Amino acid sequence: MADVNRGNRPLSPHIEVYRWQLSMLTSMTHRITGVGLTLGAVLVVWWFLAASTSAEYFATADAVLTSWFGSLILIGSLWALCFHFLNGIRHLVWDTGRGLELESTKKSGIVVLAGSVVLTIVTLLVI
Amino acid sequence: MSHLTDKKRVHGLGSAKDGTGHFISQRVTAIALIPLVVLFIVPFGYNLGAGYDHVIEAYSHPVNAIVAILFFIALFTHLRLGLQVVIEDYVHGHGARTALLIANTLFCWLFGLTGVFAIAKIAL
Amino acid sequence: MVEFTLPKNSRMTIGKTWPKPQGANVRAFKVYRFDPDSGENPRVDTYYIDLDDCGPMILDALIKIKTDIDPTLTFRRSCREGICGSCAMNIDGINTLACLHGMDDVKGDVKIYPLPHMPVVKDLIPDLTHFYAQHASIMPWLETKTNRPAKEWRQSIEDRKKLDGLYECVMCASCSTSCPSYWWNGDRYLGPAALLHAYRWIIDSRDEATGERLDELEDPFKLYRCHTIMNCTNTCPKGLNPAKAIAEIKTMMVERRV
Repeated sequence: MADVNRGNRPLSPHIEVYRWQLSMLTSMTHRITGVGLTLGAVLVVWWFLAASTSAEYFATADAVLTSWFGSLILIGSLWALCFHFLNGIRHLVWDTGRGLELESTKKSGIVVLAGSVVLTIVTLLVI
Repeated sequence: MSHLTDKKRVHGLGSAKDGTGHFISQRVTAIALIPLVVLFIVPFGYNLGAGYDHVIEAYSHPVNAIVAILFFIALFTHLRLGLQVVIEDYVHGHGARTALLIANTLFCWLFGLTGVFAIAKIAL
Repeated sequence: MVEFTLPKNSRMTIGKTWPKPQGANVRAFKVYRFDPDSGENPRVDTYYIDLDDCGPMILDALIKIKTDIDPTLTFRRSCREGICGSCAMNIDGINTLACLHGMDDVKGDVKIYPLPHMPVVKDLIPDLTHFYAQHASIMPWLETKTNRPAKEWRQSIEDRKKLDGLYECVMCASCSTSCPSYWWNGDRYLGPAALLHAYRWIIDSRDEATGERLDELEDPFKLYRCHTIMNCTNTCPKGLNPAKAIAEIKTMMVERRV
């Protein structure tokens, strides 16, 4: 952006003064969960690689993933997945030009936030 | 500060006439992942911590194996496209951005193919 | 890397607190000040206004400050009725037109900053040069190739209706400067205002440059930096929906391929 600023003008305050909006929050969470899920994906691939290698290697990988630390990451990943899944569907609907009115974005935002928690708990109970 | 006109500054190097392919791929993989995530996570959840023999038996079954392979392909394609956008958004400076974009592509291919290889080895 | 914090020369300091008038209904206004001649960092001054002695809108308060308290306070304003788009600024955390924003809509102290993430010329005046150049780049005029008709370019009532919710934009820049994507990549991303105008001409039934317009927009940065964050639509003081306009452009991009 530096090139857009002619002269040595100060930059006006932005993220620190802008009031938080629900849609801004869900958008940012979508991005953070997406990036964060990289870790979960890598762990799962490693688990399968270990299973394909030998019983001993698998025992190590399985122990790591089922340890309290591994469980913490996987449950965190599960919530991230549920959120990204639901908000992803919201984005797919938006991409057709639907549901972009302010009222419906507010409603769908709340549904996605609450739904991600519910879906996480349901998945944990079922599996 | 160089003396570029406002017009020159806005147009830059011109339109890349590209981006829609990326947009479509991101959505197609997203749609594919809706059923694949559900179909993948159920057997995975049951087999996590169930022991080596169970896991080998479960993923020797063609349905589980094919679902897992499709899941990994869709997942890591989607991840590559998504991380690309994040890098483009936040990393300015042509050198660093290009290096990270290359690293992202290689990383996603590495882990995606590793996953496919592992499942295939178990299944076959 | 993108700078999420302000550069050194842009960090705000606490400025002057102006005298408080007598009165039952006095309100504090914290206003961003920057004097390019002083060589100092921007500061936030505190003014007090008796609301019983002032008009109902934020712009009335700013005009009162300039007239009665501090004539050096600088801001753009003209029509005072939401048509000229001059007095856009960040009020109480969102971008809006000072003339359309009532004091009743704000709780507590009224915080006023220039439009976010813009180079500041003076006080509440951002440099909109690049923003205007981006608007000009989308060819905001009717492009035709057919010979000019004897009387006029005809348009059906239904086709004219498609321009409703688009033509009302007054180019105040509230939406573009509310968009995080525009904050981080505003040098290349055209931003919601320019894209809404682009869409306004793309769907105009009389315009004959639809393909060229889409060609120009099809770019990872010009168009596809929009991640549907929705701040634009949330903040538009005219109640328009730039996010929807951009979504429509994206569906057209797909439509002409499949």
